[in-house]
Amino acid sequence: MTWTPGPDQIEVVGGPSKAGGAGGLYRAFGETLRGLKTTFMQATEGVTTVQYPEEKIPVYPRFRGRHRLHTFEDTGLEKCVGCSLCAAACPSDCIRVVAAENTPENRVSAGERYAAVYEINLSRCIFCGYCEIACPFDAITMGHDYEMSDYNRSDLIFTKEMLLAEPLERTPLRAEGE
Amino acid sequence: MPRPVAQMVTFTLNGQEVTAPENAILADAALEHGNVEIPVFCYEPKIGGPVGACRMCLVEIEGIPKLQAGCSVPVKDGMVVHTDTPRVREAQEAVLEFILVNHPLDCPVCDKGGECPLQDKSFGWGDGISRFVEPKRHFEKPLALSPLIAIDRERCILCYRCVRFSQEVSEDHQLVLQERGAHAFVATFDGHPYVAPFSGNIIELCPVGALTSQPYRFRARPWDIEQSGSICTLCPAQCNVSFTVRDDRVLRVLQRDHEGVDDGWLCDKGRFAYQAIHVDERITQPLLRDGGELRPVTWELALETAAAALGRGRGRTAALAGGAATNEEGWLLQGLLRDSLDSADIDSRAGGTLPLDLHQALGAPALQASVPDLEFAHAVLVLGTEPVDDAPVLDLRLRKGVRRHGLQLFTATSRPSALDERAVLAVRYAPGAEAAFVAALDAALTGADVAGPAAAAGADADAVRALADGLRAAGEDIVVLWGERVCSGAAGADAARGLLNVAARLGLEGRDGAGLLGVPDGANGRGLREVGVLPNAAPGLAAPDTDGRDAAGIAAALAAGELTGVYLLRTDPLVDLADTPLWERALEKATTVIAHASFLTPGIAEHATVVFPAESHAEKEGTVVHPDGRLQRLRPAIGRQGETRPEWQVLAELRRALGNDERLLTCSMVTARMLESIPFYAGLTLDTIGADGTRWTERPQGAAAPAGAAAPFDLPAPAPAASPNGRLRLGTFRSIWASPEVGASPALKFLHPRQRVELAPGDAERLGVRHGSPVTVACDGRSVTGIAHVRASAPEGSVFLETAIAADSAAELDGPLVEVRPA
Repeated sequence: MTWTPGPDQIEVVGGPSKAGGAGGLYRAFGETLRGLKTTFMQATEGVTTVQYPEEKIPVYPRFRGRHRLHTFEDTGLEKCVGCSLCAAACPSDCIRVVAAENTPENRVSAGERYAAVYEINLSRCIFCGYCEIACPFDAITMGHDYEMSDYNRSDLIFTKEMLLAEPLERTPLRAEGE
Repeated sequence: MPRPVAQMVTFTLNGQEVTAPENAILADAALEHGNVEIPVFCYEPKIGGPVGACRMCLVEIEGIPKLQAGCSVPVKDGMVVHTDTPRVREAQEAVLEFILVNHPLDCPVCDKGGECPLQDKSFGWGDGISRFVEPKRHFEKPLALSPLIAIDRERCILCYRCVRFSQEVSEDHQLVLQERGAHAFVATFDGHPYVAPFSGNIIELCPVGALTSQPYRFRARPWDIEQSGSICTLCPAQCNVSFTVRDDRVLRVLQRDHEGVDDGWLCDKGRFAYQAIHVDERITQPLLRDGGELRPVTWELALETAAAALGRGRGRTAALAGGAATNEEGWLLQGLLRDSLDSADIDSRAGGTLPLDLHQALGAPALQASVPDLEFAHAVLVLGTEPVDDAPVLDLRLRKGVRRHGLQLFTATSRPSALDERAVLAVRYAPGAEAAFVAALDAALTGADVAGPAAAAGADADAVRALADGLRAAGEDIVVLWGERVCSGAAGADAARGLLNVAARLGLEGRDGAGLLGVPDGANGRGLREVGVLPNAAPGLAAPDTDGRDAAGIAAALAAGELTGVYLLRTDPLVDLADTPLWERALEKATTVIAHASFLTPGIAEHATVVFPAESHAEKEGTVVHPDGRLQRLRPAIGRQGETRPEWQVLAELRRALGNDERLLTCSMVTARMLESIPFYAGLTLDTIGADGTRWTERPQGAAAPAGAAAPFDLPAPAPAASPNGRLRLGTFRSIWASPEVGASPALKFLHPRQRVELAPGDAERLGVRHGSPVTVACDGRSVTGIAHVRASAPEGSVFLETAIAADSAAELDGPLVEVRPA
């Protein structure tokens, strides 16, 4: 049975069957020059390469970088009550929370309980931001810092003190409308 | 009352035909037989009948104009029920909204978060939005309801579960609801802490986070933990438990409902003594006595020293096994002693041994009652045991039988029992006169002369006759729950014969729902007997080649120098056994004392030469036997702490070092060898034992058990109980809290007993002793001090002291008469 092409068949247009002559000369030099015109025009536009790490691209406000834990500005108490919901939401299981009870002598958070241990293993974190969504007290948010490389894997387990500390502002933030 | 036979009926549930037992509660029937969940808060079949307090379970039943509470309606034939009509949904949403009106929604802080029925129901049946903007009810929080339980009254939804548990299940009548309406809250009536043997159960019953465990407070979330099922071996009740494990630590113990064992309840010892697993006092490495002091050493050195010492003492070494030892350990221990050390001196019974044919007869399958029989029998006689101390969860079972199934309860004990108030008749006899009392009961049942033996027992002859008549009149299904102390001591064999006589007179043999249920002293007392940890029984209660000495005989032989060494498998004779002075001399004289122990109790700390760290019940692997013949399996929940090694492995290595070449590499190999060496366990494997255990007495292979002596026996005239004559008869009891685990658990420490001297008000007045004042109890130049506890129900002429405590134990005193004076 022979194949009959359908109405959507595309005719393949081949190149000139014969090279040489004036047409061949044009194809060899004229088209090349036309391409080079684009190349030389770019040379006049200046440099686009960002000289990282000396220069950094500002991140958007919703960029999900390394986490931050927050305290109340007025009382200084931690917002985190150690409820472990972030650990439950975490798809890569990189958050570990061990809670303890506040005492009048040692008041850490506003509620009855606080996080005695709060660790995020950043070598496992996939920066999905589910912890931020799960948090009922806005105690954890995703910061803007993405420069977290280290020489040692165990140094990538961030403790509560590291997450609470004001991070070095290493990443410029993109201004409104920029 | 015997178990009711349920008739199956068919009703329509959401358009589907569902078959369920008639008069089953609709909420249960819908879930079990129709796979439809009707949301409930207050309804909990374990606690009792419905109260309809929360109104969460409203359903529509055709023919009834108003919505009905699904937790209160019994299923009837042809009933048409709808649980998902708009009307029902609206009602359920509205009820949930009402329940949440005063609920603080502090789920992130609440311990129940993640395993909270209120969260689940709000998610499944709630509207998702609250219209309530007014301020909520506020209470001071958190408040300690007891040192073990925290109460948060804001979270309470007033379902009454805890109050009903206290009033109708444990019957301690401590919890009540105070105030009315929205101001109602749960509290004890007098404001005292809620301290009771079963208080922890209300934590699990609470459907919200109002009652939470203090030791578990803020420790973990449901997604941080794993549950691991095993058996609690802290007492003979052997409740099925589930350990909550996080980061290889036990954080909590929950019930694992088994109708045939525990009915879903736990005592506070089982629930909170897990803390003793993770304390610094626990021994977690081998210790060796060096220069008079126990010092940590390597396992190799400890095993080598122990094997060498045992090898030197061949033929002159005895062994004692405590109740927490598993069948495997007991089987290995008796093999080690009988085969490798040529000794027959091995015992697991504190009160001396019985003739083998009596052991066989008391354990005969045809005569065994099961735990559920306690609830459904016509009558139960509690003889010489205090369930709340000896096997706590059985106390709840008996109370349930009386309350719900018309069980007639009779108690016959020397010390007043907590069950007396629920008993038809409570009979007292003199402490230590069990044999005489059983003889009197036997005489009353046959119509012989009661007065003689009753007088010897110090009991009222009319009361004994009334007891016999009451048992006869109650019905055919009679269970005798007897304690091991009945058949111990010098007259133990006579008491055992009397007990078998009573069983024969009442026709208990071979009858379903009737029989004997013996509560041993040790948690696995029955299992240890069956695997041959008795001086006169080999595995399978067969006759051994030679009979050995029992516990008291071992002590005497050690003190006399006839024996030189003793192997203590999870027991400390100075704490667990009677006659402390003799044991002190015996252990002093012994050159080798090898012990498996978790804590440095007095006998271990002062006398042990080699101490192997013992596993806790959460680390243990093996099998145990419940008093009703149920083989149950222990599974390790956590890794062994410190350098602890399994005890079966230590015993197996010592066996190898002493010349037995058989290689036992895993615990299941030991189990298999143990099971095949016992004829009536034939065909059992770890798989057939399974998660719920198997009663070997119910299997056809159980018929291979030796029958033992056949009742009736002729009983000799019992020796009369000592006449007080100014002094007092000494009775002893072992409190539920008397265990090293309780003393080592930070949360339970406050319950760890000190000597409590219980006496009658008349005696107290005569002796010038006031309630709560210190008293001295003396006998033969030895004395102990304790706090006087004047009990109105205590019989005149007797005084009751605690045993199994580290200091001032009643085991110091010889009896039978003691002098009591103010200290």
